[in-house]
Amino acid sequence: MAGIWILGENRELTGELLTAGGELAAATGEKISVLLWKDRSRAEEYFALGADEILVLPELPEDVPPEALIPVITGEAKTSQPGLILLPATVRGREMAARVAAGLGTGLCSDAVAVRWNGERKTFEMERLAYGGMAVQKVVFRTAPAMATIPPRTFAPAPEKEGRTGTVRELPGPPPSPVRVVERKKRERTVRDLREARIIVCAGRGIEKQEDLRIARELAEALGGEIACTRPLSEEYHWLPEDLCIGLSGISVKPELYIGLGVSGQVQHITGIRDAKVIAAVNKDENAPIFQTADLGIVGDLYGVVPNLIQEIRKARGQ
Amino acid sequence: MPQMIACFKWVVDEAYIRVGASGDLDMNAVDYKISDYDKNALEEAARIREQAGGSVAAVTVGVPEATKGVKDALSRGAEKAFFIQDPSFRDLEPSQTARILAAVIQSRIPYDLILCGEGSSDLYARQVGPRLAELLGIPCLSFVQKLTVEGDRVVAERRTDEGQEVCTAPMPVLVTVLPDINTPRIPSVRDTLMASKKEVVPVRKEDLPDISSPFLETVSMKGTSLKRSGTRFTEDPGDVKAFVDTLLQKGVLK
Ligand SMILES: Cc1cc2nc3c(=O)[nH]c(=O)nc-3n(C[C@H](O)[C@H](O)[C@H](O)COP(=O)(O)OP(=O)(O)OC[C@H]3O[C@@H](n4cnc5c(N)ncnc54)[C@H](O)[C@@H]3O)c2cc1C
Ligand SMILES: Nc1ncnc2c1ncn2[C@@H]1O[C@H](COP(=O)(O)O)[C@@H](O)[C@H]1O
Repeated sequence: MAGIWILGENRELTGELLTAGGELAAATGEKISVLLWKDRSRAEEYFALGADEILVLPELPEDVPPEALIPVITGEAKTSQPGLILLPATVRGREMAARVAAGLGTGLCSDAVAVRWNGERKTFEMERLAYGGMAVQKVVFRTAPAMATIPPRTFAPAPEKEGRTGTVRELPGPPPSPVRVVERKKRERTVRDLREARIIVCAGRGIEKQEDLRIARELAEALGGEIACTRPLSEEYHWLPEDLCIGLSGISVKPELYIGLGVSGQVQHITGIRDAKVIAAVNKDENAPIFQTADLGIVGDLYGVVPNLIQEIRKARGQ
Repeated sequence: MPQMIACFKWVVDEAYIRVGASGDLDMNAVDYKISDYDKNALEEAARIREQAGGSVAAVTVGVPEATKGVKDALSRGAEKAFFIQDPSFRDLEPSQTARILAAVIQSRIPYDLILCGEGSSDLYARQVGPRLAELLGIPCLSFVQKLTVEGDRVVAERRTDEGQEVCTAPMPVLVTVLPDINTPRIPSVRDTLMASKKEVVPVRKEDLPDISSPFLETVSMKGTSLKRSGTRFTEDPGDVKAFVDTLLQKGVLK
């Protein structure tokens, strides 16, 4: 094995992967290389966070997507033969990881939530969710390098250490890419981070129209909480931004109170609230699966129930 | 007129999985389905064919019982299916699936455009599509929410972490689709009847190069319990008050 590679997209994600990589470097005695992409000026910063080597990826013209770097990464990995490659489980990280893994003929653990070195068996052991979150799948590698994508926030950011330094090496330019970017539309990030929210009101498809989200918003306001949604609302209807989607393909939250309004409670959604202290639900179908995974449930039409609920909550909170 | 391939997986419907006391997964009473987002891949291929012409072949790798899924796929607009089957193809790892698909597509299915789902409902590894593109040596556009075929190239709107990105790529190309790209059709009785008359090309393990060794080995699959106590209330005003009182008692309402 020759090192641990980290390909973070930005400072935040790289910092988290350096924590994961740092633990594994300590266990295996390996050095850490960070592949710098986009923010070349950060070399010194990454040394302080634990990197021993910086591999600088070539600059790309505006209309060339970052995926054009895949042959460069694969080529360098064939030469330097790292034992482990970690990437963030972001849109780009996922595609890059899968294509690099295919190019190297190796395995990849997608969305790893635990990564360990088994010194006895001399292999990396990883855990991920399967069946929508119904099961935890544990995997080991039969090929090298071991590869994983890791969801943002799985690891805390690496702390800065003083006086660390390392080497910097430039990687060659990529072969021409047939893909062109013709337009980029930036989206506003939601200001509030739901992962810190104490109370969450989640809107599901039981809400009939976009205007009716007002009902969920009012309840959230009465509770002093935040609004969130299921995937169909953010992804299919585009009523709310993706940052507010809870679940397997969205975010995981750990509020003290979660109230689902018109949420059926399929496992892909519920897996994102497994750490909530109290789960409550309003659903008109008494057989909705959410009643099995909730602590408290009101069987009823949300359009009739929520206004009463808001009133009672206001009373209880002395508003 | 693009020749299209839509890749779909026949999976366990996770809603039927029970978790035993020791955390083992009980699959005795499960039903199967076409992986949710693969319906979007099949639909997108059918939609493009209806607009731009061309052809659609549905392709799956699975166990012989997946024949029901093949019929389902054919009722969703594909005119032909390639059914790569073997009893040992039950728990393939994404790299194996991708290698099998690449071998079959390369040797016997002409294509301009390959469509995959964002991820499979059971593993949701989001690997098979990009891996397949890499093995075939063609460009890959992943997480696409809008797709248009223009002559010999595609224009795709991708969702990225920063926002949206519109890309073009020459065909042949592989595209993975997000669920909002379309609304999958619900096959009519006629569609189902027509499906039985369509051609299914069987491909067997013996016809393939050896992919028996997984790169990633699953050493355990443990069920997790999401069950909670579940106190129920009705929509009567008195019950709604009792619900709020319970929240107060639990100390989550301040
Ligand atoms: C691979 C994969 C990943 C996924 N990832 C996610 C994810 O991260 N997050 C996520 O949320 N989903 C995810 N999903 C989708 C998930 O499986 C469900 O389809 C989705 O969560 C359902 O959303 P919903 O509960 O809002 O809608 P539905 O399932 O349609 O439920 C609507 C509910 O509202 C109730 N209702 C209707 N009208 C009223 C009314 N007037 N009053 C009260 N109740 C009413 C109905 O009884 C029903 O139970 C994923 C799916 C797959 C296959
Ligand atoms: N067994 C299979 N047969 C055909 N296509 C598959 C199979 N498994 C996965 N795919 C395709 O690859 C996509 C991603 O799957 P996965 O990498 O398992 O998340 C799916 O949405 C399908 O389009």
